[in-house]
Amino acid sequence: MTHKKSIMVVAQPDHPFYFDLIKHYKVRTIDEAINSFETHDLVIDLSPLRTQKKFLFLKELAKTTKAEIISDLTLCWAEWIFKYAPQVKAALSTLFYSPNNAIEYGFSNSEEPILKLVLDEFAQITNQKLVEHKNLKLTFHYPRTIAMIINEAYFALGEELATPSDIDLAMKNGVNYPLGPIEWGEKIGLSNIAQLLDELHTVTKDDRYRLSTELKLNALKNL
Amino acid sequence: MKLEKIIVIGAGTMGQGIAQWFAQQHLKVELVDVNFDFAQASLLRIHQSLDKLVGSKKITEEASSEIKKSIVVKKLSEVDKNADLAIEAIIENMDAKLSLFKELDHVLKSEAIIASNTSSFSITKMASAISEARKKRFVGIHFFNPATIMKLVEVISGVESDEKLTHALIEWFNNHHKIACLCKDSPGFIVNRVARNFYGEALRAAGSFDENKFREIDQVLKDVGGFKMGPFELMDLIGIDVNFSVTESVYQATFNEERFKPHALQRDMVNAQRLGRKTKKGFYSYDS
Repeated sequence: MTHKKSIMVVAQPDHPFYFDLIKHYKVRTIDEAINSFETHDLVIDLSPLRTQKKFLFLKELAKTTKAEIISDLTLCWAEWIFKYAPQVKAALSTLFYSPNNAIEYGFSNSEEPILKLVLDEFAQITNQKLVEHKNLKLTFHYPRTIAMIINEAYFALGEELATPSDIDLAMKNGVNYPLGPIEWGEKIGLSNIAQLLDELHTVTKDDRYRLSTELKLNALKNL
Repeated sequence: MKLEKIIVIGAGTMGQGIAQWFAQQHLKVELVDVNFDFAQASLLRIHQSLDKLVGSKKITEEASSEIKKSIVVKKLSEVDKNADLAIEAIIENMDAKLSLFKELDHVLKSEAIIASNTSSFSITKMASAISEARKKRFVGIHFFNPATIMKLVEVISGVESDEKLTHALIEWFNNHHKIACLCKDSPGFIVNRVARNFYGEALRAAGSFDENKFREIDQVLKDVGGFKMGPFELMDLIGIDVNFSVTESVYQATFNEERFKPHALQRDMVNAQRLGRKTKKGFYSYDS
């Protein structure tokens, strides 16, 4: 079964799936998308934005299209976006490297079969497996968990508890992690980790999401 | 570094595994427990484990026989004073450990290394029971369960531990099929600290008791994150009480650092005696 929807994908050239996407979709950057007069039935928005900027972008996008949106909410408070940007019908998380080539997705309300077909096609094109997250509230499970693990590894580094290679070795051989947290952070991008934790800290005001200065320092190095 | 004779004190799961592993490295091992019969039973389990290895052709009958001969059960008052290393794997009770280290310090030759397999207590604090002359030869050697299989050993350096000794131990373990990492004395060391939020964040994502949510989180972290087990499956396997206790210990030792704050659901599960697989119910039920 196919969906027959005309689709525009919003993605920056540094998105991990960019080169797969341009072979199959009409891909536009954030600036191009909000200045576009093209018509399409559906938008897959992979912009790497946090809640407030994402909302403003979606608001701008709504001026040019009435299309339903599947949005990457990796760095966002998902429940808030669903509530205040009702054109977002489904969300996915593509920004955090998965050792298993898999991505989380969820619907704003109940599953919509056509959107699921679109997501299936997207997963096939990007060579990813889809894993459902029902009743998506604060944010996706995998990014928030791995971000906390990596942040703690950087707190440990900042305290000179052990070397980066010993921290990685310990986690791989003591608890069978597929990657050590330091190498994992490099693959995900420390800037992504920093942005997600900062967003969680902003939304929840919970100090457990306080960023390690060592992580912040290294994230800024990569900007 | 040359290690020939070692003493393992505490014949529970960890002590038993550590004793077997050292014996498999051709060291002479004395296994000690306050309960002599318990230590004897532990030795029997080691023999059974070696028999299984023979059955699965992982070691020969001759090798198994040699390993069995190299482990003996002793009372603390009878241990060999010339042992090179004594490693403690008793219950996580500071007073009991301090008292044991004082006795070992008194009995063992001056160059013997005394070590703790603690997963939560401060090495520097435990070294306070040791004489000034030996403090530099007191370290943490943290094995992971099952000690005969898990590759990692954390070698923990207390404030007064000799740097040359910790490096020599790292080299010794690396030469004996382990992967040894050097770690400063800090709550949870490397693994128990960095892994805390694998559980803590999953508990916050679930919020309250909801088996469907536990299943979803476990599935996502296995399928997307590539973890071998999900956090709820793993807590059920480890024991929710054990995991809660480690979390509380790290939280207290860091003066209530928010990142390590236990979750109310952990406490509620312990209060309800839903401790995981060992009570046949935890985050999941194990009826059969």
